[in-house]
Amino acid sequence: MANETTQTHESTGADGNASGGGLPQFQFVWWPGQVVWLLLIFVVLYVLLSKLFLPRVGGTIQTRADKIAADVAQARDLKTQAEAESATALAELAKARTHAQRTASEAKAKANAEAATRQAAEEAVLAEKLAVAEDRIRVSRDAALGNVRTIASDIAAAITDKLTGVAATADEVETALTAAKA
Amino acid sequence: MADPMHQFQIHKVVDLPTVNLPGLGVVDLSITNSVVSMGLAAGLICVFFALAARQAVVPGRLQSVGEMLYGLVDDLAGSIIGHEGKVFFPFVFTLFSFILAMNFLGMFLVFTATSQLAVTVTLAMLTILTVVVVGFARNGFGFFKLFVPSGVPAFLLILMVPIEIISFLVRPVTLALRLFGNMIGGHVVLKIFAGFIISLGLLATGGGIASLGILGSVVSLGSVVALTALEFIVAFLQAFVFAALTCVYLNDVVNLHSH
Repeated sequence: MANETTQTHESTGADGNASGGGLPQFQFVWWPGQVVWLLLIFVVLYVLLSKLFLPRVGGTIQTRADKIAADVAQARDLKTQAEAESATALAELAKARTHAQRTASEAKAKANAEAATRQAAEEAVLAEKLAVAEDRIRVSRDAALGNVRTIASDIAAAITDKLTGVAATADEVETALTAAKA
Repeated sequence: MADPMHQFQIHKVVDLPTVNLPGLGVVDLSITNSVVSMGLAAGLICVFFALAARQAVVPGRLQSVGEMLYGLVDDLAGSIIGHEGKVFFPFVFTLFSFILAMNFLGMFLVFTATSQLAVTVTLAMLTILTVVVVGFARNGFGFFKLFVPSGVPAFLLILMVPIEIISFLVRPVTLALRLFGNMIGGHVVLKIFAGFIISLGLLATGGGIASLGILGSVVSLGSVVALTALEFIVAFLQAFVFAALTCVYLNDVVNLHSH
C-alpha cells in the first residue's frame, strides 16, 4: 500500500495524499476527470434513452394495450353479432317449423279428403254392383219360385193321378195350390 | 491480507492530454478505470435496449425484462409525480438504469464506479440542480415557497423555515452519501471476509490448535456467499431508492402549489 501510494503520488503529483488507511475516494486529483466523463456519458445515455430506446419500449407497450383493447372490442362486437344472428336463426327455425306443421296438416287433410272421395266412389260402384246382383238374384229367385209352382202343380197332378187315377185339370190344381199357399 | 481499499484505487488506463475547460480549469481527461466502468455501464444499457426494445406484440424474455424495468420506473414517476411524471420519466429512467448498471457491473468486475464519491456526488448534484432548475422554471420565485410550509403559525415559521432550508440543502449530501456508503461498505465487507478465508486457511496449515482456523475460514466463505446475494439486492435497491428520491424531490417543485 505504501508503495502504491508513493506511485500514485509520483504519477499524479498530488499533494495531501491520504496516507496509510486513507480512502482512495478522497484523492481529489481524480475528481475532475470522473465528473466530466460522468456528465458526458450521462448526457449521451440520456439522449439515447429518451430519443431512441424509451419511445420504442413505450410505443410497444402502448401498441400492445391498444391491440388488446381493439381485440376485446372486436370480440364483443362479434359476440353481439353472433347473438343477433342466433336470435334470427331461432326465429327462422320457429317460422319454418310452423310452416312445416301447416303444410303437413294441409297435406293430411287433403289426403283424407281424397281418400274419402275415393272411398265414396268405390262404395257407389260397389253399391251399384250390389244392386245389380240383388236384382239378378231376385229375378233368379222369382224364376225359381215360378218353377217351384210349375213343379208343384206337376207333382200335384201326378200324385192326384196316381192316387185317384183321374187326372186333375190344370184349373183344379191351380186352385188347390193357391189355396195351399194362402 | 489484501488491502480492502485497494479495489477503490483509481489508475489511468489510457493517457489523454489535459483539457482546459471553461469554468472548470485544467482537467485531466485521461481514461481511468472509473471512466471505463461508467462507459461499460452505459454501453451495457445501450446494448441491452438495442436487443430488448423489439416491438413484438408477444414479448420474448429480454423484451419482457426491458418492459418490466420501463414499467417499474414509469409507475414510480407516475405514482409520485402524477400525470406530469411523463416529462421527467426519461431523466429518472436514465438515473435508475445507469446507477443499476454501474452497481451490477461492480458485482462482476473489480471496480465499482458508484463506490466513488466523485461519481455519487456528481449524480446527486445533477439531480438537485435539475430539481432547482425545474423549480424556478415552473414557479419562478414561488420556488421559495418550498421552504415555507403552509398552515403553520407565523411564530413557528421562524423555526420551520431554517429547518426546511437545511433539509433541502442536505438532500444532495444524503443522496450522494447513501449510494456511496452502501456500495463501498458492501464491497469492503466482501473483501474483508474473502481475505479471512485465505488468511485463516493459511493459519490452519500451521497445525496444532491453529487448525481450528479452518472453521473460521469456512464460516467466512459462507458469509461471502450470503453477502454477495445481499449485495445484489442492495445494488438494485440503491438504484431504486435514488430514482424514487429523485421523483419525490421533483414532485416537491412540480406540484408546489398543492403543498
